[in-house]
Amino acid sequence: MKKDISSLHVPHNKNTAACAPVQIEMPKEVILPMNMHSGHDAEPIVSVGDHVKVGQLIAREEGRFSSPVHATISGTVVEIAPMPTSSGKDTLAIRIESDGKMEVAESVKAPEITDCDSFLQAVRDGGIVGLGGAAFPTWAKFNEAKNPDYKVDTVLINAAECEPYITSDHRMMLEHPELIADGIEYLRKYMNEYLGNAVFKICIETNKADAIEVLEKTFEGKDYVVIHKLKTIYPQGAKQVMLYNATGRVAVAGRRFPSFGALIINVSSIAKMAEYLNTGMPLVERIVTVDGPAVEKPMNLIAPIGTRISELLKVTGLKAEPGKVIVGGPMNGTAICSVDDPIVKVSNAVLVFDEKSAVLPEASACINCGRCIDKCPVGISVAEVDRVMNIKNEDKKAKMLIETGVRQCVDCACCSYVCPANRPLLQINWDAKSFLKKYAAAQKEKEGGNK
Amino acid sequence: MGKLHISSTPHIHQKGSSTRNIMLDVVIAMLPATAAGIIIFGLKALWVVLTCVASAVAAEALFNLCAGKKQTVGDFSAVVTGLLLGLNLSTNVELWQCVIGSVFAIVVVKGFFGGIGKNIVNPAIAARVFMLLTFGSVAAAVQIAPLFDLGFLGNAVPEIAAGATPLASLNAGVEGAQNAPSVLQLLVGAHGGTIGETCGIALLIGFAYLVARKVIKWYVPTSYVATVFVCYFVFGGFNATYALQHVLAGGLLLGAIFMATDYVTTPNTGKGRVVFCVGAGLLTFAIRQFGTFPEGVSIAILTMNLLTPFISDWTRKKTLGGIK
Repeated sequence: MKKDISSLHVPHNKNTAACAPVQIEMPKEVILPMNMHSGHDAEPIVSVGDHVKVGQLIAREEGRFSSPVHATISGTVVEIAPMPTSSGKDTLAIRIESDGKMEVAESVKAPEITDCDSFLQAVRDGGIVGLGGAAFPTWAKFNEAKNPDYKVDTVLINAAECEPYITSDHRMMLEHPELIADGIEYLRKYMNEYLGNAVFKICIETNKADAIEVLEKTFEGKDYVVIHKLKTIYPQGAKQVMLYNATGRVAVAGRRFPSFGALIINVSSIAKMAEYLNTGMPLVERIVTVDGPAVEKPMNLIAPIGTRISELLKVTGLKAEPGKVIVGGPMNGTAICSVDDPIVKVSNAVLVFDEKSAVLPEASACINCGRCIDKCPVGISVAEVDRVMNIKNEDKKAKMLIETGVRQCVDCACCSYVCPANRPLLQINWDAKSFLKKYAAAQKEKEGGNK
Repeated sequence: MGKLHISSTPHIHQKGSSTRNIMLDVVIAMLPATAAGIIIFGLKALWVVLTCVASAVAAEALFNLCAGKKQTVGDFSAVVTGLLLGLNLSTNVELWQCVIGSVFAIVVVKGFFGGIGKNIVNPAIAARVFMLLTFGSVAAAVQIAPLFDLGFLGNAVPEIAAGATPLASLNAGVEGAQNAPSVLQLLVGAHGGTIGETCGIALLIGFAYLVARKVIKWYVPTSYVATVFVCYFVFGGFNATYALQHVLAGGLLLGAIFMATDYVTTPNTGKGRVVFCVGAGLLTFAIRQFGTFPEGVSIAILTMNLLTPFISDWTRKKTLGGIK
């Protein structure tokens, strides 16, 4: 029997699991940042004063793993400038003022697909990116499956949604199981050569019993789709953890994910992809869970991408002064500076914490309890990373850091979560990883200089 | 809307997970043994324990103040050290000696090395060994002086010669076992020894509490005790009673449950901790059987404390998907 991966129980707080998504009133304006995906920033192709319609291309992809941006409301482009976004720094963004009509662009029609290449191109044009958090362009993910070395036999559809509070994927599965089915059929049809024999495993945690039921009904009789039930534990949705738990394969460090014979895609991504291929409407709106201790009425909202967070909070109401606002989950989300920031393609939740829950206790000295190591899904010696980071000698530091295994860190934050001394262990791991990257680059340069 | 807090992930923290709660749990787990010690050895035991705890806490507070460090008295680790030291002394000790021992533990063993989390040996054990070498008989067995008549326990209370510890009899070999208290008597603990080590039942209650509270893993103290048991089982000619008497006599349970499980001075993985405990078990056996001291738990744990960094190195977890 394979060894269980370390993980932990976090409070679910899925208060909105039963809340069907509600369309918000049309926002007066939207802000569309050019970096809503993992690669290079997109390049605006409209100018201030231009009139745009819903679904119209307003910025084309530029460079590797970039993704196009579409207008999410109809109206006038009023500003193209760096603006504050949830990423923490000012990013080039397009601000569109609504004309109140929500007119759909003429270009919105189902794309013509004849083969694999036109399929990938369509997914690319739709601006579909990984909605689980990484925002990696979806077409590029599928494109990798074409590599003859990889032999992909499993497509993992990540429906774990293991973070507390968030239910947007859950609701997507309940409202639109047919889109997930369509997405799978598109993949089987147009990537038949590569995924024709693949098993599609919808990996879902057992705390979403209603979604499991809906999916089982949807995929009845389709033997290439498996509803793979996973224990409700964190971080079940981390791709390395999911690969291991769903297939028993180990994600060896430093290799591309498809080389393990599997693709992994978020369940909402595949649904949004199918929606685009069916209708031609690109990724212009999404379900956002709005919850948290300071929220009056936790809800799932459907909002155009680019809507200011303050607009969402107007709908749900606040029962306390916000102390912290998080885009994403409490384990992995980003705390933002201002509620005027827009939601982006990957914003699956907005959580508002009151002053009391906003500040975590101050860090104290490590007592070597080993809980961080015990709970790390990949078994990193986290406590040692913390200690080694104080070493001055860079060679020694790099050598010892590599021994701790910190390069395999999946950013799940279990270590920080359990630390009785409240040490910012995840942050220390990030520091360690960036140090190792810089160190390796410097070593390379040194070697080059010696030649 | 006011200013928002910004911080790195995660934004939530495990409920109740704090150094203070861990230390409080350890204190609670030691209370049964403390109570048993006071019942068995009389009020003097209470004064010894109180003096140790009070002086340890005062030493911690004063040291932090003088050294200009952040005050850490609130984390209760000084209480644990003081209480543990008290349980490791017999009522033979003078109260002023307790003060010196506690100050040594907190200031020299812990403070000078950088405070909580930085000490390389267990402060309570180091202080006990320091006191043994300095004052001689601080841990010598004394006649029991029960708070009330323990006669109701009947056969569970042995008739013992003054000054003789069960271990002294047991170390004479299987033949000596007849002079030592029976297993039941050792579990009740109404015999000579240090304040906290004699009552096996009270210590096991503490063990169960720590395991239930997930402060320690059950297999850590167990591997220590099991090692000693196996050694004596083989050495004593496969005599389980004799081996069990050895396990219960002396400070083995106290050491295994409360000192070999100290996070700071033991390795940081389960595997490493078992290696630590097996090593300590073998050393305990060797010292008891072949050394000049009748008891070897303190020295064994102290020695293994020093080896901890190496054990951590050898037993480091292999990461999932890690490449060498």
